[in-house]
Amino acid sequence: MTLFTKNDCTLCEQLKKQFDLSAMEVRIEVLDNNDAGALAHLAWHGLVETARKTLPILVLDDSSAVQDFTHIEDHLLDRAARYGVSGKRASRQARCESGSCALQ
Amino acid sequence: MGVVMPLNAEKGRPEQNKRMFKEDSTDLALFVRSSQDDMTGWDRHRIVEALLRETFIDRDTAEKISLDIEATIQKGRVKTVTGPLIREMVNAKLLELGLEEARRMHTRLGVPLYDVDQLLVQHNKENANVPHGPEATNLTLAEGIKKEYALLHVFSPDVADAHLSGDLHLHDLGFIDRPYCSGQSLEYIKKFGLNLPHALSMAKPAKHAEVLLAHMVKFAAALQSHFAGAIGWDAINLFYAPYLESLSDYEVKQLAQMMIYEFSQQAVARGGQAIFSDVNIYWEVPKHFENVEAIGPGGTYTGKTYGEYEKQAQRFAWALFEVYKEGDAAGRPFFFPKPLVHITEKFFKTEGHMDFLHHICEVASVKGNTYFVFDRGETAKISECCRLSFKLEATDLEDAKQPWKMRYSALQNVTINLPRLAYRAKGDDTRLFQLLTEKLQLAAKAHEQKKKFIAKLLALGKGGPLALLAMDLDGQSYLKLDRCSFLIGMVGLNELIRVHLGEELHESEAAIKFGLKVIAHMNLVCNKLAEAMGMKFVLEQTPAESTAFRFAKLDLAHFEAEAEKVIQGDRKRGEVYYTNSTLFNVGAELGPIDRVEREGLFHPLIEAGSITHIWLGEAQPDKEALANFVIKVFRHTQNDQIAFSPEFTACIDCGKTSRGLSESCPYCNSQNVDGITRITGYFTKVSSWNKGKLGELHDRYRNVNRFNN
Repeated sequence: MTLFTKNDCTLCEQLKKQFDLSAMEVRIEVLDNNDAGALAHLAWHGLVETARKTLPILVLDDSSAVQDFTHIEDHLLDRAARYGVSGKRASRQARCESGSCALQ
Repeated sequence: MGVVMPLNAEKGRPEQNKRMFKEDSTDLALFVRSSQDDMTGWDRHRIVEALLRETFIDRDTAEKISLDIEATIQKGRVKTVTGPLIREMVNAKLLELGLEEARRMHTRLGVPLYDVDQLLVQHNKENANVPHGPEATNLTLAEGIKKEYALLHVFSPDVADAHLSGDLHLHDLGFIDRPYCSGQSLEYIKKFGLNLPHALSMAKPAKHAEVLLAHMVKFAAALQSHFAGAIGWDAINLFYAPYLESLSDYEVKQLAQMMIYEFSQQAVARGGQAIFSDVNIYWEVPKHFENVEAIGPGGTYTGKTYGEYEKQAQRFAWALFEVYKEGDAAGRPFFFPKPLVHITEKFFKTEGHMDFLHHICEVASVKGNTYFVFDRGETAKISECCRLSFKLEATDLEDAKQPWKMRYSALQNVTINLPRLAYRAKGDDTRLFQLLTEKLQLAAKAHEQKKKFIAKLLALGKGGPLALLAMDLDGQSYLKLDRCSFLIGMVGLNELIRVHLGEELHESEAAIKFGLKVIAHMNLVCNKLAEAMGMKFVLEQTPAESTAFRFAKLDLAHFEAEAEKVIQGDRKRGEVYYTNSTLFNVGAELGPIDRVEREGLFHPLIEAGSITHIWLGEAQPDKEALANFVIKVFRHTQNDQIAFSPEFTACIDCGKTSRGLSESCPYCNSQNVDGITRITGYFTKVSSWNKGKLGELHDRYRNVNRFNN
């Protein structure tokens, strides 16, 4: 499972606070101008155009992708339960407050 | 025999060279011929004047050189003395004195007699779209001099050396004084008429469809003289629509026929070269034009929006493809204008789309003309050239409210020789990416230098050489320099991977993933450079019609041990090439959907345009099969654009056209035949192809039994 994120993406940061992603063995890919590997990984999954519209994106183990924030939470909550790790849903409706929850 | 000396070379200091921009350069080209035996007309001071005018050396040195040259000529009892000979003698003397910079400034640009002799009789195949003839020879000769000028005078030595050595390729150096390509709206001439700088007459906005067509063709020819490459037109069927309301279906088809013949027969334009023209076609009315007020006959608003012209636009689109399906008088496919149909979400919501899709797929199967451009989601773009596209950004969509403002240009294209980086990196990832970054920086530097040069010419305004691009009928110069794109292309990703990992792109997932990393790196470095330099650097899959051949030849010469293991083609016949851009090996036996899907993974990283070719050979698939294929590509891949390429044999004796590439005509058995198929992004005659492309043609995997037919 891989979570594609960006540093100035508030939704991405929120997920990182809600879940202990490393304990859940969720790989985090940070998309920035210095990491060609992360961008290539995104391209391999055919998600570059999607990421230009919205981030974060969660890629599941079967390679399917989830972009809706609530659905990402659902999948992570499920995984957290399986890994015996705590995780919680956002206390209020998630919004991209930074306005930059997408690949530029 | 005579002495050839400049008659009235200007006196003055080097810093006054800029005067040449302000004065009539005709005078500088005048020469005097006098009897050679007594050396009448010889005046060594002209050497001094030239050295002082063109270089920074001091008068004493110039005097000394002129005296030396005079002595040499007298001593040698030379029977023929020409200006070029004297100049070369002076240059040799400058070298002898260690004055390298002065020698460079004093260089004479020209072409050896032998080369001209060859050019006059042999076909130059650098560009398959240029036929052989006196105009083409003029073009080649002028290009030759401008290339030299560019490498000596426009670009810095490191950039020029990188080009000459084959580290990268500066495209269209022979057109150094123009931008690369242009995409625009018909609305400009609909609104302003044909009102061109230096034209002998001015035409008001067209009142009739045929006149609009005449304006369009002439404007395209004028643009061809100011751009190196393609001239593209946006939403052509929609913008013609207001002129079609009173026309019958027969008349609309007649207009479609006139348009296609006009553009395909423009072999009388620059250098005898047909205008590389593209027409963007939509079945639906694009969202950004729906509520825009339509301009009709006479350049006036019709009182309707373009959203209300959907049916008329569709009628014209349908008619255009009827003409494409018929082909020319001999049944051959039209080479130009290239029709680019945009497949969008709205396309599938527009009435009649499946009938139209079958129609254009039939054309794709029968003649191959159709290009399917995929604009997924909210993406909108204008496409042209072999695969170039300009994505419409917020400012462009604002311009779309007044569509005559919509015009796009890429100022230059620089391509990087990827396999060479792998030869130098010797399997070291860090070194590979470091070298790639350095070449991207050099490409950006080349772009900056070309931009500076074009800006200088543009600044001369309406009295300058780029008056057409400086015209400002809508309040802005026609060429919007600050919004130009600067293209960075790549050749031979497949061979880079083969050298670096030991396998080709189609052979493993690891190869594709590493290939994606290379292109992702290029994408990111372009972003950084764009931010740092304030210029829009974007990746494009370079068409590389001759560059893939040139790089391969140069690498065989300079990196033979490494290159001979990976180079494609037939070395014995000299038909060598690198695989173009990010394409997979053209001979790999990949099914069409596999190729489209896998090559398409790269496309979102290459923002200025990509394409996947599906070579059909002699196959002629069902239109339904192709339509299903196109839908599948749109829905389930990231591919940017596809084209199906059938092959034909045209008989020069009986004039008939047959399917497939044959060595003789199946109708009359004549061996006087020529092949026709897509070379890179356009159809042309195989006899005009360079050796590298011939090698590729031989290797291409044809999808003969891959569709339901």
